[in-house]
Amino acid sequence: MNGFTHLHVASAFSGHYGVTRPETMAEAVAAAGSNALAIADRDGLYGSVKHIGACLKLGISPIVGVDLAILNEDGSFLARSVILSHGQDRGLGWAKLCEIVSVAHASRAKSGQLRKEHQIGIKRSQLAKILGESGGCTILIGPDSDVGRAVLAGPKQLAASLLAAWREAFKSPGAIGVEIVSHLTEPGTPYSTEQAQRMLSLADSLSVPTVLTNAVRYLEPDDALTADVLDSARHLEPLGLFTPQPNAQAWLKPALVMQALAIEICGEASRALQLLETTERLADRCRLDPVNDCAWGKPKTPEKSALGIDGNPFEVLWQKAHAGIDHYYRSANAALLSQVHHRLGQELITINKLGFATYFLTVADVAQMIRDMKIRSQARGSGAGSLTNYLLGISGVDPIEHDLLFERFLSTERSTLPDIDIDVESARRHDIYRAIFKRYGSTRVTLLSMQSTYRGRGAMRDSGMALGLEDEQIDDIAKNMWRFSARSFRGALGTKPELSALAAAVDEDRRMNLLVDITERLDRLPRHISMHPCGVILGDSTLLQRTSVEPSGLGLPMSQFDKDDMDPMGLLKLDVLGVRMQSAMAYAVREISRVRGEKLDLDNIPRDDPETFKTIRTTNTLGIFQIESPGQRELTGKHQPTEFNDLTIQISLFRPGPMKGNMIAPYLDGRHGFAKADFIHEDLVPILKETWGVVIFHEHVLRILNVMTGCTLAKADEMRRSLENPRAALAVKQFFHEKTRERGYSEAVISRVWSILEGFSSFGFCKAHGAAFALPTYQSAWLKTHFPTEFLAGLFTHDPGMYPKRLLMAEARRLGVKVLPLDVNKSSQEYLVEPEGIRLALTEVQGVSENEVARIIEEQPFKDIADFYLRVKPTRRTLERLALLGAFDSFGGKRRSDEAGDDPEVTRGDIIARVRQLNAIKSRPASEANQPTLDFQVLERLPTGHIEPTLAEKVSAELSLMKLDVTEHVIELYRPMLEEMGVVNANELVGLRNKSEVLIAGVRVATQTPPMRSGKRVVFISLDDGTGCSDSTFFDEAQARCSHILFNNRLLLISGKTRRTGVRGVSIMAENAWDLREMWEQWTKARPQFLERAAG
Amino acid sequence: MRSMDENVSVSINRTGEPVGFLWRNSTYRVQTKPIRWFARRDWWLEAATVRRGVGAGVLEVEMWRMVASKAEAPEQKTQFEILHTAPSADGSKAIWRLVKVYD
Repeated sequence: MNGFTHLHVASAFSGHYGVTRPETMAEAVAAAGSNALAIADRDGLYGSVKHIGACLKLGISPIVGVDLAILNEDGSFLARSVILSHGQDRGLGWAKLCEIVSVAHASRAKSGQLRKEHQIGIKRSQLAKILGESGGCTILIGPDSDVGRAVLAGPKQLAASLLAAWREAFKSPGAIGVEIVSHLTEPGTPYSTEQAQRMLSLADSLSVPTVLTNAVRYLEPDDALTADVLDSARHLEPLGLFTPQPNAQAWLKPALVMQALAIEICGEASRALQLLETTERLADRCRLDPVNDCAWGKPKTPEKSALGIDGNPFEVLWQKAHAGIDHYYRSANAALLSQVHHRLGQELITINKLGFATYFLTVADVAQMIRDMKIRSQARGSGAGSLTNYLLGISGVDPIEHDLLFERFLSTERSTLPDIDIDVESARRHDIYRAIFKRYGSTRVTLLSMQSTYRGRGAMRDSGMALGLEDEQIDDIAKNMWRFSARSFRGALGTKPELSALAAAVDEDRRMNLLVDITERLDRLPRHISMHPCGVILGDSTLLQRTSVEPSGLGLPMSQFDKDDMDPMGLLKLDVLGVRMQSAMAYAVREISRVRGEKLDLDNIPRDDPETFKTIRTTNTLGIFQIESPGQRELTGKHQPTEFNDLTIQISLFRPGPMKGNMIAPYLDGRHGFAKADFIHEDLVPILKETWGVVIFHEHVLRILNVMTGCTLAKADEMRRSLENPRAALAVKQFFHEKTRERGYSEAVISRVWSILEGFSSFGFCKAHGAAFALPTYQSAWLKTHFPTEFLAGLFTHDPGMYPKRLLMAEARRLGVKVLPLDVNKSSQEYLVEPEGIRLALTEVQGVSENEVARIIEEQPFKDIADFYLRVKPTRRTLERLALLGAFDSFGGKRRSDEAGDDPEVTRGDIIARVRQLNAIKSRPASEANQPTLDFQVLERLPTGHIEPTLAEKVSAELSLMKLDVTEHVIELYRPMLEEMGVVNANELVGLRNKSEVLIAGVRVATQTPPMRSGKRVVFISLDDGTGCSDSTFFDEAQARCSHILFNNRLLLISGKTRRTGVRGVSIMAENAWDLREMWEQWTKARPQFLERAAG
Repeated sequence: MRSMDENVSVSINRTGEPVGFLWRNSTYRVQTKPIRWFARRDWWLEAATVRRGVGAGVLEVEMWRMVASKAEAPEQKTQFEILHTAPSADGSKAIWRLVKVYD
């Protein structure tokens, strides 16, 4: 007897249950000489594609099943069973397995009815119906089944009748088997040898085949500790409060150990041998033929009929693309036209060779559908390098004008489906998904899923919960975890100053030490499955026989496979990504049309508007796509862009690669004439003149290889990809040297160019991608320049950027755009543009329900507070909050002459008092017209004698109820102290000399710790003080002084020296930082007259 | 049944099964084939470290259930449970502790 095939193995993709990744398990069994391995994840086929891929690579047979709850007719729990797909049956078993899993998820029980672990399950009768006469799967009845429980507890006949019922239920041959498992637990308990022995003799007495498994959860015994922690996360309870796994035996035991176990269970060698043989027989039956069973690697696109086309798809594509020429190159001259025709011809030849015509038609069809829905959209990524995409209306960037290459996107050297990503308005994304389902039918479409994995904080949180730490303690530790993976937690303790308190605790407290250990263990394990933020899978009508699906949060079915599984499974994934900036811009365009009656086509504005570039060059880029971050603002100051291509370059430069590769400085030096650009060889001048000799783009590499070696661009892209792999790079090196020598380049040139290419692999960026990003950057800058009010209204409504909304409000103040207070007669669910400014939206008020907002809008306008109270029926809390925020102030003003008295003006205090009167009424009077209530019919009399809240009180209410400071900037509350200390305003920094000592204060709006060339950590903090944004840099020494303040406090005071970073750029080299509120407390101790100001 | 926690000295056969032990100055001989199983420990209450690779010994402990009798009174059979900690890499010796006596 040699080898043993494990048929019951959960991978780490069994969320919060399995510990080991499928690839690792497959490698282990292959190394030990086995030739097959099964995966059976809990409740799904989550890890199966990775498992099949790993097995194919290792040359062993993949087997796939699922570990699923099987239910009684009444929905109660019957068994947890492994259901294995048979193989080499032209996909019959695989399709049935997919269906079984999908049905189990679709009929998911309402919570409460069953234990959480069994909510996803399938009734035995449903299962029997799916398997029918033809079968296709084998169900293993194991220790965690009615039979398994009965052999331990019940009378002997009961177990026999239960097993007989299973046999009766299934008609297909080989549908059931009894799973013999011993985890060597205490005799008489589940998973004991005793239970296994009784299962064996019961099965033998009824002639049901038996197989041996080890119900595996992890690779090695040591991993059992990790499994304990995962169990805790699954139960949402600390260790010790639930029944844990009985011991550490559920590991992937080697064949010899399994054979010994078989003998221990069977008591004699011959029965053991027989048990092992039937196990291998079932394994043989289940060996998958991935190509013929799972359609592995076969591209599947919607059928012609589903796309609504007749005839040859390539001819249709040819016609559509050529029709696009008339539209997009209407005014082109003959030379350009011939270039367009030539390029399109080349692209279409490649597409036809690869057989991807249907794919392009599909994407074009979706793009057209999105346009028909009047939703802004734009292709991103390397797809923007395709003229075909441009002519089909998929991409909005002209690849010829911007010098983008098709070969970077697609070539005959590769045969995988290319990625075309479409950015759309985030607010309409779900509408698009539904429309896609409707258009192609639910048998051809599913959403894509993604597995999120444990990272630093999440791993620490679940570890802390497992150990029973207090929530507060966990929060405190989480706050100081920055920029390291959980795997290096212990290492980080010694080096990061903000973790020094924790490091001390770890030395003294055993539990804290365990926390570090198990946090490291959880790192990178899959955590849970969720809807991918943008992926839609489009297939032919067999899609649901290829992938299992489960309901997504959206209600639409979602595949259990993730994005890495798409290529191997030949599935076509379309990324429809919601981009808030697109929504914000669409909103601005609608407001411009509503308020000014101007129809604006943002995609056709001139792309060389000098005013727009002037705005950008001031570095006041808050709210502008991609270039609003502190680092981008600093770079903008140095770069001073003047044309569209500059934006493409700047976006591509501000990436970890170019920063590490020190590409920014030489580029800027060349551009500003500080240094002479070095092109190495005159042949490279046309390629690199746009970037002053610096190789930035993938397209540069392609062209350099093309010019210097004479290879095709397609071949060049293959070589570029090879550069990422050191071994493959060797072959490229040889080719490059050989060809360039042949073509007469000097050794000096060859070696210099090669060293750039060699170092380039991790740095470069696809220019098409940069250009696609630059478009919304330019468009948003254009809107900010010409329609700031409407643009800001769009930003407020859709919140696209990295900064909190209150910072954008400060930007509005700076631009002289007024943010108008809430008004129940004027505010809506969006930020509406009015002649005087932008009206705050009702949705900002915390605790106000969607229904209340909808009723307010529906019932507007109101004649007084009582009218509002009667028709909107707000909760007491909502009514009071609206009053505190001044939403009823417009009912105030001058009192009528008959009630003026001593108090001619209504104060907000009077209004709040009126609201409290209404809130004191026990039950709301009925509001039907025929039952007038006297108190509400007369003209409302507002109370008198209540004082107007102070400015500080108003701001404080705004901050606590909306997280916004509208009336004035929150920093104003501290103004007396700041003035006394000589704190500088952000907008004054630019006028100061280099290296001036300064103090600045403000609200923290961004904290970044980008990767640095030196490997040392640098912290960037941006503060907003109402006059603008200041950016401070903390290096090691400064961090050591104040790291506890840096990550924990919102209002900061920072000391440091100014540092010029460009014509318009100043940042601060920080020396120290303090908590502004703490300073205020100390300051006011000596000056009690200021005490009430900064109550907020 | 009595629970206890006392050191015993155990003699084993070639396959590692206990065949007899010395407890409170009496020698016991194992009468039937002993049953081995694995129990677990609440490591979160006692372990100092659970770093990766520490091994399952932190979590798991080997148990033996056996029927034995004193050498001088073979007819008087009693069931015992003995906990076994294997010798570890850092040099500590094997430990056998009697944890249950079913009398």
